[in-house]
Amino acid sequence: MQNPILSARKTFIYYMGIWIIVVCFHTFLIQTSGRMNLTTALTDSIVSNLLFGAIGLGLWYPIFFARAEDEKVISTVINNIVGCVVAVGFWLGLTYFLLVSVFSHDPKYIIFLRNSIPWRAGIGIIFYEVIIMVYYLIIFYRNNKENQVKEAELKALVKESELKSLKSQINPHFLFNSLNSISSLTMIEPAKAQEMIIKLSEFLRYTTSNKEEKLTTLDREIDNINRYLDIEKIRFGRRLIVKQEVGENCRNLKLPGLILQPLLENAVKYGVYESTQGSVIEMICTCNSSALSIVIRNGWDPEFQSNKGEGVGLRNIRSRLRILYNQDDLLNIRKDPKNFEITIIFPQT
Amino acid sequence: MENIRALIIDDEELARELIKNYLKNQPGIQVIGECENGFEGARSIAELKPDLVFLDIQMPKLNGFEMLELTDDPPEIIFITAHNEFAIRAFEMNAVDYLLKPYSQDRLLAAVEKVREKIRTGGRNDQKISQLVQQPLTEKLERIVVKTGTKIKVIPVDKIVYLEAQDDYIMVYTDDSKHLKQGTMKFYEDHLDESKFIRVHRSYIVRIDQVVQLEPYAKDNYILKLKNGNSLKVSRNGLKNLKEKFNF
Repeated sequence: MQNPILSARKTFIYYMGIWIIVVCFHTFLIQTSGRMNLTTALTDSIVSNLLFGAIGLGLWYPIFFARAEDEKVISTVINNIVGCVVAVGFWLGLTYFLLVSVFSHDPKYIIFLRNSIPWRAGIGIIFYEVIIMVYYLIIFYRNNKENQVKEAELKALVKESELKSLKSQINPHFLFNSLNSISSLTMIEPAKAQEMIIKLSEFLRYTTSNKEEKLTTLDREIDNINRYLDIEKIRFGRRLIVKQEVGENCRNLKLPGLILQPLLENAVKYGVYESTQGSVIEMICTCNSSALSIVIRNGWDPEFQSNKGEGVGLRNIRSRLRILYNQDDLLNIRKDPKNFEITIIFPQT
Repeated sequence: MENIRALIIDDEELARELIKNYLKNQPGIQVIGECENGFEGARSIAELKPDLVFLDIQMPKLNGFEMLELTDDPPEIIFITAHNEFAIRAFEMNAVDYLLKPYSQDRLLAAVEKVREKIRTGGRNDQKISQLVQQPLTEKLERIVVKTGTKIKVIPVDKIVYLEAQDDYIMVYTDDSKHLKQGTMKFYEDHLDESKFIRVHRSYIVRIDQVVQLEPYAKDNYILKLKNGNSLKVSRNGLKNLKEKFNF
């Protein structure tokens, strides 16, 4: 991270301007109080103040990096004291050495220089603290601005994912195809049409009334996906074969609502839509004391799949899991030439 | 009234039942067969030579468009689908009508009337496409199908290296094969994803990530080197397209 004073020409000019004022003031003070000629006073002032000006620029780096790692008050204070002693000591030593070598022929000045060391140290400490304070302010201001930007980004992201998940809740093609099947059934098998309307209504009610962020039980989720699969079975007949294994003690475990249905829909899409024969969709739920694990597997034919990569649906589920459980590795995909398999783990607290 | 012989191609049994029920006892039209996927459909069209096909788009293995591309001398087509985003492409393939599921019996019969009209007037389709289509085409091609002898092969667009125009045909080059296919450069220029493909010449469309470098060749002439070692001529328009794409 570059020093903010050096990063823009304007701030550097301001910085130099302040030091020139200090140089003038310093010259005036020692000239009048020390009764020495202007050249000597000016040299003294320029050497000592510009030296501090240069050290001041360098101070940014230890401050920036120390702050980035450490936020504790006590260590900040200690860092500050140590930094102050080192910087001021170094400055005093160097100033003294330079001025002594410049004015070695002038014993009166050397005496003045020796006597002035305590107040020089005092001024050095003040300079140091002022510069440090400015740096802290800059860092604080920057962090604040960064946080604001981050927050705005985060809000936009949440909004976007909310919209996306709303859109992905009900696939319009599924809905229209189902309605078409109902339309057909009313002519040939009215009782079955009625059954399908009821199933579809229940499915729509569950989907639209559930908040995604809420946890629900596996039992309720399974009821919902069975409604969904029953509807698809009416559409696809023998082409859809469903196998379910649910560990008995898993049924009351918690998981986010409406997360399984999109996965099953995916399985139907890649298994059944693209298969002329039957396609088996398997769902296996197992659990232990710390987690519920669900495997959804469908047969597929990779040759006939479009190469789209991970769809919006899967990405959406991944990000929901990350937000809810703060873990990245809960959804895993395994593909081989025969099967497409998704494993999803829901930690139980 | 002339009798229309119709074939139904849809992967859902209930969807086929609906069409049959709607057409039952209607004079002048007769359902002569039904198929549940594109492969069967292509075969049945060749065998039965129907006048009209009711065609679903979303079907296993071979979708309705792909099936149609493989059909020589296709009959009249009425698309029946739940997807509204394919309408423009459907009319580009000279479909007579495009029905969105679910639809009424009257709507289907009106579509059949249009077919009858078209057959009677000798194949002139005066239907204004713009009136029928509200939705612009959003779907880009993800794969293309080619026929070698009797075998049908599906090529994902990501496997294509480049396309070359050859009269009324297109030669599709992949890493390890080439296939001749009916079609126009215009069609592929419009329907391939423009973030992946670029037209560099009247006769060439290239997959962008296959491009290695552009070399000057003669005065104002350039050739494009591809990953597989091929070199293609670049036209002036092609150069302009490349400049826009790669910002140089």
